Amino acid sequence: MRLIHLSSVFPLLLASVFVAPVFAQDPPSEETINFFARNCASCHTIGGGRLTGPDLAGLTERRDSDWITQFLIDPKGTIDAGGEYEQRILAESRGVYMPPVPGMNAALAGKLIALIEQEEQKEKSQFAGVQVSDRPLTAADVKKGRELFLGALDFESGAPACVSCHTSASIGGFGGGNLGPDLTAVYSRLEGRTALGAWLSSPPSETMKPLFADHPIESDEVLALVAFFGDEAASGLEQSESQSLPFLLMGLGLAATLLVIFDLVWRNRFRGVRRSLIQEARNA
Amino acid sequence: MDVRSQIGMVFHLDKCIGCHTCSVACKNIWTDREGTEYMWWNNVETKPGTGFPTRWEDQDSYKGGWVVDGDELKLRSTSKAKIIPNIFHNPAQPSLDDYYEPWTYKFQTLFDAPEGDDQPTAIPISKITGEPMEKIEAGPNWDDDLGGSNIYAKNDPNMEGLTAEQKKQMLEIERISMFYIPRICNHCLNPSCVAACPSGALYKRGEDGIVLLSQEKCRAWRSCIPACPYKKTYYNWSTGKSEKCILCYPRLEAGEAPACFHSCVGRIRYLGNVLYDMDKLREIAMRPEDELVDAQRELILDPNDPEVIAAAERSGIPDGVIESAQNSPVYKFVKLWKLALPMHVEYRTFPMLFYVPPLLPVMSTTQGDVVRNDVDSLFADIDKGRAPLEYMAKLFSAGNLGKLRYALRKEMAVKIWRRYVTVGDISQADAERALLEADCTAEDADDIFRLTALATTDERYVIPPFQREMAMEMIIDPQELKAEAGFGFRAAPKRS
Repeated sequence: MRLIHLSSVFPLLLASVFVAPVFAQDPPSEETINFFARNCASCHTIGGGRLTGPDLAGLTERRDSDWITQFLIDPKGTIDAGGEYEQRILAESRGVYMPPVPGMNAALAGKLIALIEQEEQKEKSQFAGVQVSDRPLTAADVKKGRELFLGALDFESGAPACVSCHTSASIGGFGGGNLGPDLTAVYSRLEGRTALGAWLSSPPSETMKPLFADHPIESDEVLALVAFFGDEAASGLEQSESQSLPFLLMGLGLAATLLVIFDLVWRNRFRGVRRSLIQEARNA
Repeated sequence: MDVRSQIGMVFHLDKCIGCHTCSVACKNIWTDREGTEYMWWNNVETKPGTGFPTRWEDQDSYKGGWVVDGDELKLRSTSKAKIIPNIFHNPAQPSLDDYYEPWTYKFQTLFDAPEGDDQPTAIPISKITGEPMEKIEAGPNWDDDLGGSNIYAKNDPNMEGLTAEQKKQMLEIERISMFYIPRICNHCLNPSCVAACPSGALYKRGEDGIVLLSQEKCRAWRSCIPACPYKKTYYNWSTGKSEKCILCYPRLEAGEAPACFHSCVGRIRYLGNVLYDMDKLREIAMRPEDELVDAQRELILDPNDPEVIAAAERSGIPDGVIESAQNSPVYKFVKLWKLALPMHVEYRTFPMLFYVPPLLPVMSTTQGDVVRNDVDSLFADIDKGRAPLEYMAKLFSAGNLGKLRYALRKEMAVKIWRRYVTVGDISQADAERALLEADCTAEDADDIFRLTALATTDERYVIPPFQREMAMEMIIDPQELKAEAGFGFRAAPKRS
């Protein structure tokens, strides 16, 4: 019995020694996935097609890991020093360099490459991006998008209206908030419907992510907003008009009005005694 | 009966010559420091006139004193509701312009100026900014002797309520008729400054009722400044604390009269303590205006009454203080003879500085080059004085003509009596009739004369024994720091 046991166990042990390297690639850590989601997914999909940046599926076949690591650490330097391939991807991105990624280093780059490799083998990567319907957009969509932007219509999930942090050219008045960027040309900036839709479906920026993580924008709302931003971009404006001067003037006007009101309300206030006596005597 | 002792004062205005010696004595001792240049703890005003600060009696502007509201006495300047909106600024304060911008002169130029066509001039320099002043526009006694100023006399708040004829009469005679009122802190029985202070910096000393302002507790809220109807608390812009007359308590504790009293060349000032009944104060403070003079006299107790003496002893008032109250000239002038009246008692703070009203020269009329007065005897009817009695009554008896007339008539009667005694050109019958009309006995007339004209320092200033050494023992053990720290460490008042 004992022999049999030993002999039956041995091949298993042996097998484990050979098989181990195959499974040595650990599943990517939560940290790496989060990092990708936070820093990469807004511009890149893995197998979901091009957004602002190229689809990363097949990246490791296109370039070796040294190049990728080098690029991640210094995107602009790598592109500028590079040849035909580098010029092509720069042209595809309409001359926009990938911004340097904060906290990037060789070790992290290695982890990201491993993540991309694993994700591209999946049938559908978790970073395939969100597919936005490609039905034609109507004037009704633009109207709804506008209402959503201004907060006249609530997002179903209860997400805050765009106007609280952003402005856009056509909304008039004193514009929207100044915390976030001006969204007049966001449609063209993000290169159209797909990328913008992807952004809106899961806003990745540091500011928006915590707000929208629990309150995602529904896909029909995304479509309406895309339609609205498309309409804004069609106006050809780059950004909304600055409202600083009218705002300042109105503030000054309001302050002056308040002073006048205070002066009227307290018109009988005490203003000293002697000077008015002298004045009275002079006038007499 | 809750008997307390309070230092009282009497200023005999019939004797005041308006020399400002008192003001200068006070200034030299107490207010020649930075930040206090504009303060005059003692000042002398010409009446009719607007005084210092300008029109201080105008409580519609300055909101000083108390008002009766239903069955309560309320401060005019502040309340629980008004504290918050006025927390950073009490609106009813006199500005520096209503006091005056203190100045000195650049005397050095008189010596340094290079030779030129003109005489060198000492230009005025502001004591606030240190810059030359283009024009001096006001001073603490700017309307001094200007009985007829068309700005100052005309705007005297006491003129309000006089008939048009009386006003005209005052403006006609304005050039030649006036009297002086020296003013210091009244050390009131019911001080509104103490009531208004949110920091509890102002307090009334238990043993003598002197109102003091703690330089350690003052937090510059300046609530006392509008609250005091006499404008006798002042804000020191340098230390950021308010200051006021301390009645020279260090001198009093050493048995000496305050500096302004001591220096008075006309010997118009009297000082002594009186006993009063604290239990009655609240009720008496609510009396109608024209009863207030009597009400305050009612508050002051007879120090010879055995019942009062017993009550005073129960309240812990030392025998020496009671004895001093029995000799007090203030008690005599105020309560016994009813000659001295409190100024503006209608503010209901019950000032403990009383004034013997002045007998003014009689009215005269000018016909061509002849000046004639309508008086057929040496001493005229008090009603023919140059200032209408209504005007004086507004100052000294809250409008009660009877109280004022009583005092003036008695003063006049004493003069007639003494004329009869010393010169003899008035008949005994006339003199006695005058005394009778004035509710005065011959003995009283002699006493009044003596205290008015002949009194020695000790008779004018009956300073109670303060026994600070005993009062001190209640707070600290005088032996505790013996041979350790002298008088201890004193912190100078400063912004902290």
